Amino acid sequence: MPLSSATRPMRRWALLICLGLAAAVTGAATPANALTPEEMLADPVLEQRARDLSQGLRCLVCQNQSIDDSDAELARDLRTEVRRRLTAGQSDADILDAIRDTYGDYVLLNPPIAPSTWILWAAPAIILAGGALLVFAARRRDDIPDKDSPLPARETPARSPKHVSLKSSVAGRQAVALFSLVVGCSLLIYLALGRADLPDRPLAERTAEIAALKDTAQQDNADRVARFDAARAAVEAEPERVSNWLELAMAAADAGRSETEVTALRQAMVLTDDDPTIVSMLAEALSRAADGQITIPARALVEQALAANPAEPRALFLYGLAAYQDGDYAAAIDNWQQLQRVSSADAPWMPLLADNIADAAAAGGIEVPVSPGPDAADIAAASEMSTEDRDAMIAGMVDGLAARLEDNPEDGPGWQRLARAYDVLGRTEAAQDALVSAADALVADADAQLAALQAIVAGNAEDRLVDDADRLLARLVEMAPARPETLYLRGHFAATNGDVEAARAFWQQLLDRLPEDAPIAGQLRAAIEAL
Amino acid sequence: MQDRPSGRPLRASFLIPLVAFLVLAGFATAALMATLRGERDVSQLPSTMIGKAVPDVVLPRLDAEAGDVGPAQFAGAPLLVNVFASWCAPCRAEAPALAILEEDIRILGIAYKDKPADTRAFLQQYGNPFVAIGVDRDGAGGMALGVYGVPETFLLDADGTILLRHAGPIDRRVLEDILLPRIQELQ
Repeated sequence: MPLSSATRPMRRWALLICLGLAAAVTGAATPANALTPEEMLADPVLEQRARDLSQGLRCLVCQNQSIDDSDAELARDLRTEVRRRLTAGQSDADILDAIRDTYGDYVLLNPPIAPSTWILWAAPAIILAGGALLVFAARRRDDIPDKDSPLPARETPARSPKHVSLKSSVAGRQAVALFSLVVGCSLLIYLALGRADLPDRPLAERTAEIAALKDTAQQDNADRVARFDAARAAVEAEPERVSNWLELAMAAADAGRSETEVTALRQAMVLTDDDPTIVSMLAEALSRAADGQITIPARALVEQALAANPAEPRALFLYGLAAYQDGDYAAAIDNWQQLQRVSSADAPWMPLLADNIADAAAAGGIEVPVSPGPDAADIAAASEMSTEDRDAMIAGMVDGLAARLEDNPEDGPGWQRLARAYDVLGRTEAAQDALVSAADALVADADAQLAALQAIVAGNAEDRLVDDADRLLARLVEMAPARPETLYLRGHFAATNGDVEAARAFWQQLLDRLPEDAPIAGQLRAAIEAL
Repeated sequence: MQDRPSGRPLRASFLIPLVAFLVLAGFATAALMATLRGERDVSQLPSTMIGKAVPDVVLPRLDAEAGDVGPAQFAGAPLLVNVFASWCAPCRAEAPALAILEEDIRILGIAYKDKPADTRAFLQQYGNPFVAIGVDRDGAGGMALGVYGVPETFLLDADGTILLRHAGPIDRRVLEDILLPRIQELQ
């Protein structure tokens, strides 16, 4: 393709782009900065010097922002340090030297000219010169007649010396024009966008879109503030109502006022006498305020909540997270799997939980017991389907899981998952069978035996599964003879077998071990009576 | 270019872009290989503190009823200075590494922008490998050391000269390949 016909419109484009950029830059709005009023110095001259210095210093945390622009804590410390030294009467150079001494040249956004940075500073000039050389060389070569060139433009027959020189001068002028254009545009773009001391530039060209977003945000914000104010008024009116404090905590969380949230939750905690749910909500609020870190105070709360209720979901989740942050991935997985076990399959946190467990497993190189059950994505998909589709999908997944387990009957947790799935589908007998299989796969797990036996009792399946029940009960008695559940179940199965004496003996034994005021003691007494 | 007549010599200018490309590609490959081999860590900023005397940082002690502590008090033998905080997750991750290092060298802890009560609870939970801990409530001590994030660790020789600085948690690689060899060298 002939070069010249293509370059001309392209050059026009380039020019337009350059002009557009320049216009956009001159129209840019005022710069944003992170400086807060309390940091500012009273003396405007000193303050201006502080601002100028700050704009040339790099925030080492955000690395491409100046400390004047950055919200990072280190940036604030450095701003304060600059101002402290200014007030102490140090010169700009002294201050820059002192900061450079501790943080190195890297802290200066414009690197100093030194032997180690010569290449850096010379690079633009070298590249430019190299480029110019290339352009000229290429133009010169183009002018040499070339018989074998496939380009049609070159096949023009006229090749008098005069023609060559004329063409060469045109080519030269084009090259010079192109070269100046490239240099000019680069310089313009650099000065407008690339300079290190330039502040952040808001997206001025998206004004309409931003204005619309701002309106929505303001509306949202107004709603939030209204909710917050209402909650605060309610708390003032009725400070003894726990729900008022909880609403205030939620409104505060929504409005990003973590301090109020924490205070409100503490109040709710006092009012409910350390209810574990509220204790763990407070732990969560504290962690959120600490950017997700389960801080030491939050940990203490989590442990307190778990001591009161070992199945408190939020506390279990946070406990797992704390272990994860400690690098104890096995413990994290353990806690989260415990949470999975105590949660219903459609609990909103289940997908997140599955992701977290996978994360922890990857981080710790741990192989999580394969979970062939429905994964988070399937569950999420299921929640958006119609009821029929969902049932069909769940049934399909359950059948798949059942088939896999037939091939691999040693997978105890798999059977337990299958049992939960059958339970959800209302297939009670299948659920009981799956729990029995789980118990057979986990012969050393008293809880697995117990779960199956309880399912049998709850479903009145003693007759259908009589042999299984005997086998499981024998294992349970061997492993945990003194557990109240064991005693109860032995009594129950003795009663169903017609051995009234034995049943009475077991239940009486259980009754003796129960505290006098235990709620089930009365039921048990009634059951003994009824034998 | 392939159908260029063989009789004509190649021009030097034709080689310029090729050479330039090869030089750039060479630099990029070298840097990439160094990163992959773990010799170069892109997250580490160059430190100017290495080879200099440790700044005269004096901080109130965490444990004692009275008194201050600073690296200067430990001159005469090598010292590791570890800047940490209870609110910092990587500091928990490096606790085992510090417990190993404690066998070989004295470690001075600097509790950076942390509440003393939280620091104590942190030590309770993750162990206390430190000979002493300075409380750097406002971060001034960290700033004197050029700390830009916790954890950071400095290795000082007996004269108090900074030999090495590591920003970020001490993982197994840093421990085995960098810190332990340097500490062994000192002893």
